[in-house]
Amino acid sequence: MITVEHLRKDFTYYRKMTGIKGSLHNLFHRESLTKEAVRDISFSVEKGEMIGFLGPNGAGKTTTLKLLSGILYPTDGRIDVDGFLPWERKNEFKRRISIVMGQKNQLWWDLPASDSFYLNKCIFGVDDGDYRDIVTELSELLDVKELLNVQVRRLSLGERMKMEILAALIHRPDILFLDEPTIGLDILSQKKIREFLKIYNEQWKTTVIITSHYMADIEALCDRAVIINRGQLVYDGKLGEINQLLGKRKLLSLKTSATVDPQAWNAFGLAREVSAAGAVLEIPQEKVKETLTAILAGLPVEDFTVTEIPLEESIARFYQKEVAMP
Amino acid sequence: MEVEKVKRIGRYFRLLGVFAKYSLMSALEYRINFITGMTVEVGWMLIKLLYVAIIYKAGTNIGILTPDHILLFVGTYMLMTGFYMLYFGNFASLPGMVQQGELDLYIVKPVSLQFLVTLRRLDFAYLLPELAAGVIMIVTGWRLAGLPAGILPVAGFVFYLVCGCLLTYSLFLLPYILSFWIVSVGGISDISNALWDFNNMPSLIYGKWFRRIGTYILPVFVITNFPGLFLMGELSPWACVWGVGAPALFFALTRAFWKASLKRYSSASS
Repeated sequence: MITVEHLRKDFTYYRKMTGIKGSLHNLFHRESLTKEAVRDISFSVEKGEMIGFLGPNGAGKTTTLKLLSGILYPTDGRIDVDGFLPWERKNEFKRRISIVMGQKNQLWWDLPASDSFYLNKCIFGVDDGDYRDIVTELSELLDVKELLNVQVRRLSLGERMKMEILAALIHRPDILFLDEPTIGLDILSQKKIREFLKIYNEQWKTTVIITSHYMADIEALCDRAVIINRGQLVYDGKLGEINQLLGKRKLLSLKTSATVDPQAWNAFGLAREVSAAGAVLEIPQEKVKETLTAILAGLPVEDFTVTEIPLEESIARFYQKEVAMP
Repeated sequence: MEVEKVKRIGRYFRLLGVFAKYSLMSALEYRINFITGMTVEVGWMLIKLLYVAIIYKAGTNIGILTPDHILLFVGTYMLMTGFYMLYFGNFASLPGMVQQGELDLYIVKPVSLQFLVTLRRLDFAYLLPELAAGVIMIVTGWRLAGLPAGILPVAGFVFYLVCGCLLTYSLFLLPYILSFWIVSVGGISDISNALWDFNNMPSLIYGKWFRRIGTYILPVFVITNFPGLFLMGELSPWACVWGVGAPALFFALTRAFWKASLKRYSSASS
């Protein structure tokens, strides 16, 4: 459905020295610099797949989405989205895709969202019958049926985002790009949007690429993650396998019935947290049983749990380039 | 192929109708602002009317133009100002949209981006007073000056009004398209807006060379003078052609410049 090969996008900008002196200098002489926002990225997405783009701020995630949706021209490389070159911006291509950006809106601020939906219906040439079915079905799924006739400016941020998503789906796109769709939303709204996207993707087999800073979004929706850092692809694979790359380590949380000498924990593994009530140790997966037996024999342990290293932490290590691409 | 074209044009007119309806609905959400806007526009109009009143009082002719003709020309200017103000807000917001990356969600829509960005918001508070006053002044001036009122003169007058509207849109959009290249265009757009006000009075009050530049190089005079001059039988055959050619030429130029400029759109970082 989507193939990206050696994609590159450069932006040129001017160096600006600080202060008024710098501004005056800039008036006569400007030093042009290039920022490589996306550097040699390649990946492909199958029809109906839902993948998560992860990366720190400024990594190039949004730029990649804008290149895929035809908003930006690539500097180099090849993009094929459902047989189209996005940057040619053919209407037939635009009818197959849709993009939602958490930081931007397309709804008419002073009018009810249903008016904006109708405008999209006219723009995309959707049949009256289909339009009614889509709005009824999606507004029920998103739990906003009662709000369709309320002016957008009166809606909460969460309600507005749901309407933005609905507006983007009026023409039933085959491919949906979501850029931080849950940014700034409360936990309930985030959850509702996640549930909706999951159902929508399953029901309509829409190909979805989503970027989010909330790991919960990605963990709930995607099996596959693409991690981008400094414009480069650093990981492309199953979300569940990321921890495997980090040396298969586990976290052992222990609660004690009496105070233990803090130094005593170091004998069993890397002590991440130590308190009067217990400790959290990081240990290799294959040593879990052995370590636990030793601790239970020697220390007054009341309770314990064994967990994976949090995904967020693993991914942060990719950001810091502590881990190499497999 | 032709059927497709007609269908496409029909679709654009329907969309324009939706834009007009939504703009009016949005404006009416803020009644006080809508009425204030209209009042301010009426105030501006009265100031312009003062010029005509003075001319009537003095009873002076400008070349071949009697005060009645001048009333017709100033009426045409008001009407055209109303039409220009109807969508001017879109032009003014273009540099901000380019700077803030707000074109993103418009680019992905399967209609002409230029159409969507330059005509989506229509300001009726400005159009209505100018339209009403303009039409009254045109009709009054027309009758008092004893100009022909048959089908052909009326059709010709309306035809050059439509050409004038297209030329206004094309000519005055050009400086705003520059925002794709130089981001901030305040200085240049101020100059172009000042050019508009040269049409306050018929072009015949200006010198010969000034008139030629304003007709053939930066054809602002074509917009408000050609409908009246046609009616008076004062348009040479060459000028009749230029009255159609200039809008076509500048519209093509604007389209080409828009398309070339859009390639420079870099969106803003999120």
